[in-house]
Amino acid sequence: MGSYLVERSVFIDWISRLARHEKVYFPLPVSKSSFRFSRVRSRSRLALEDFDDPRQAKPFRASACIPPPVRLLAPDNELLFTFRRDSAGDCHPTPVLDHNRRILAGVRPCDLKAIALMDRFQGDGIADPYYLARRGNTLLIGHDCLQPCDEYCFCEAAGSLSWRQGADIFLTPQPQARLLVEPLTDQGAALLADAGFPACSDVQACRARAAARRPTPFARQFKAPLARVMHAVAESWQSPVWERHAGRCFSCGTCNLVCPTCSCFDVRDDFNVEDPDSGRRTRHRDACMLEDFAEVAGGYNFRKSPAARQRHRVMRKFVYLPQRFGGTGFCVGCGRCGRQCTVAIDIFTIATDLLAGAGEAA
Amino acid sequence: MKNRLPRPRIAFFDMAGCEGCQLAILDCEDIFLDLVDLVEIVQFREAMSETAPRYDIAFVEGSIHREIDADRLRDIRARSHRLVALGGCACHGNVQARANDWAPAENLQRVHGADTAHRVQTDGRYWPLWAHTRVRALHEVVEVDYLLRGCPVDRDEFLHLVKRLLAGSRPTFPAQPVCVECRRHGNECVFLQGETCLGQVTRGGCGAVCIGGGYRCDGCRGLLPDANLASHRQLLRERGLDAEAIDQRYRLFLSGEITDREGTDEQ
Repeated sequence: MGSYLVERSVFIDWISRLARHEKVYFPLPVSKSSFRFSRVRSRSRLALEDFDDPRQAKPFRASACIPPPVRLLAPDNELLFTFRRDSAGDCHPTPVLDHNRRILAGVRPCDLKAIALMDRFQGDGIADPYYLARRGNTLLIGHDCLQPCDEYCFCEAAGSLSWRQGADIFLTPQPQARLLVEPLTDQGAALLADAGFPACSDVQACRARAAARRPTPFARQFKAPLARVMHAVAESWQSPVWERHAGRCFSCGTCNLVCPTCSCFDVRDDFNVEDPDSGRRTRHRDACMLEDFAEVAGGYNFRKSPAARQRHRVMRKFVYLPQRFGGTGFCVGCGRCGRQCTVAIDIFTIATDLLAGAGEAA
Repeated sequence: MKNRLPRPRIAFFDMAGCEGCQLAILDCEDIFLDLVDLVEIVQFREAMSETAPRYDIAFVEGSIHREIDADRLRDIRARSHRLVALGGCACHGNVQARANDWAPAENLQRVHGADTAHRVQTDGRYWPLWAHTRVRALHEVVEVDYLLRGCPVDRDEFLHLVKRLLAGSRPTFPAQPVCVECRRHGNECVFLQGETCLGQVTRGGCGAVCIGGGYRCDGCRGLLPDANLASHRQLLRERGLDAEAIDQRYRLFLSGEITDREGTDEQ
C-alpha cells in the first residue's frame, strides 16, 4: 500500500471535508487542559503537532482526553434493547445495535493498543455484540507521539509507544509542517485513494526521522522490564503496598472510569411512562473501586476495603487479563488514572513500589 | 402490568423547606400528564386544594423543626403505605441543619435580637419561637422508605422511583460519589482547573449537574456512607483552604451529617 507525504494543512482540510459526509471524531479541546473526541463540524479547529518545534504544547494528549476514544465504542447510558409485554405477560426484546459508520481520527498509540485489547476482550467468550457492531463499522486514524503527553505518561514502559495494530491509517509528523500518511488496511487505503495526496518516496526514512526525534527514554520508565513488573505484581497479594496507596483513596471510581481498558458495566430496566407495557434496558459504566461494586445478594461485600479493591484493579491490568490474553499488559500507560486522581494515586507508582518490594523480598 | 398497584394514591406534603422540590416535580411537564394517568394525586398543595385520608405513596418535603411538625409527620406516616423523603431538607436537614451547631437561645438571639432571647422565656406570645428547637431529618422522627436526595431533587430519580414502585420492584439509588457521574459525562475534574469540590464525599445521582454547568459540588445530596473525610480535609488544606473555610464548605449542606461524624478534626 502506497504512503503519502502531505502538508499538514492539506491533510486537515481533507479531514474537514471528510466530516461533511462521514461521522468523524477528533480530540477537540473542551477546556484549557482537556480534550474530548467530538464530532468534527465545519467550524472545528483541528490541530496536529509540529515536528520542528518540540517546545510547542502537544495539541492533543491522550491522558487529557476524558473519556478515552474507546468509550465511543461502548458509551455510557447505552441502549441495549427495547422490550414490549404482550397480553399474556411475556416480554419481547428488540436489540438496538449501532451499525453507524464512524471514523476516529487522532488516536494515540496507547489508545490504539487499548482498542486492540478491547477488541480481543469483547470478542472472547460470550462476545459483546454491541461493542463489536460499533467496532466493525469504525475506522481508526492513528497519530504517532514524538513527545510524552505529560508527567503521568509511561507508554513506552507499558509497551504501547510503537503500537499501530488496529489503525486503518497512521499519521507521523514530519519536518516542514508535513505529515507521513500510511494506510495500514484496505479500508484505510480506500479512504485515501481519492485524496490526491503526493506519494512518499521513502517511508522508512520518514519513520526513522520521527523515531529519532523522540526523547530517550520516552516518559517514565520502570526499573525493570515490563515482564518483571508483571511478575512482581502477580506475587504481591500480601504486600503492604496496597494499604499504603489506599489510605487517601476516595473510592470514587475515577481511575476505572477514565481507563481505556476498563469495561465493567451495570444494566438498568425502565418502562415508559407513556406506555407502561414497553420499556428499555440501558447499561452504565461501573467501576471496581466503588464501595458497592463487589456487594452481592444478602449484603456481603467481598472487597470491602479500598486496599482490596485497589489490588483487584491493578491485578486486572497486570496479571488477570494478561494471563487470559497471552501476555501483553492491559495497562497501556496512558496516564489518565494518575492525572485524574485528586490524591495522586498513580498505577505507575504502585507498580514501581511492588517491584521494589519484590526486589527486597528476593 | 402484573404487580402494579392499581393507580396508587400519591400525596405531597411540605415541612420546613422552600418547596423547590415540589416545583422540580411539577417541572416534569413533558411527561406529567402521562404520569397522572398512572397515579392518582390526592394531595398536593403546590398544585391543588383537595385532600384525602389515606395514601399509597406520601412524598414529604422539608425538615422537622417543631414538635407539632413531628406530630404531623407521624400522622402522615400512619396514613401512608410508603413514605418518601423528598429532597435534601427531608433527607438530612440540608442548609437548615446549620442551626444545630448553636444552642436554640443563641440562634434566637442572632436572628431576632437579644431582647427576644430574654422575652421568649417570659412572654407567652414568644413561646412558639422557643418550640423551634433542633432541626431534624424525617428519618429521625419516623421510618422513611426511600430518600430522594438533592437540592432540589433530580427529576430522573423521582421518575425512576415512581416507575419502580408502579412496576412493583425496588428503586435503587447507588451510594456512589458525584465523581462517578462527572467521569461518565466526561467532565474534567474541577480540581484540575484549580477549583475545589465536595464531589468525592457526596452522594451522586444528580448527573453532576452543577459541575456540568461550570460550578463545583457543594454536597447538597448528603455525605457518602463511607466518605473518606480525613483524606478530603487534607486535600482541601493542600489546595489552600484553612480549617475555617473547610468547615464552612462542609457546613453549608452537610451540617446534619458531619456533626455526628469526624466533624472538626485535628488541626
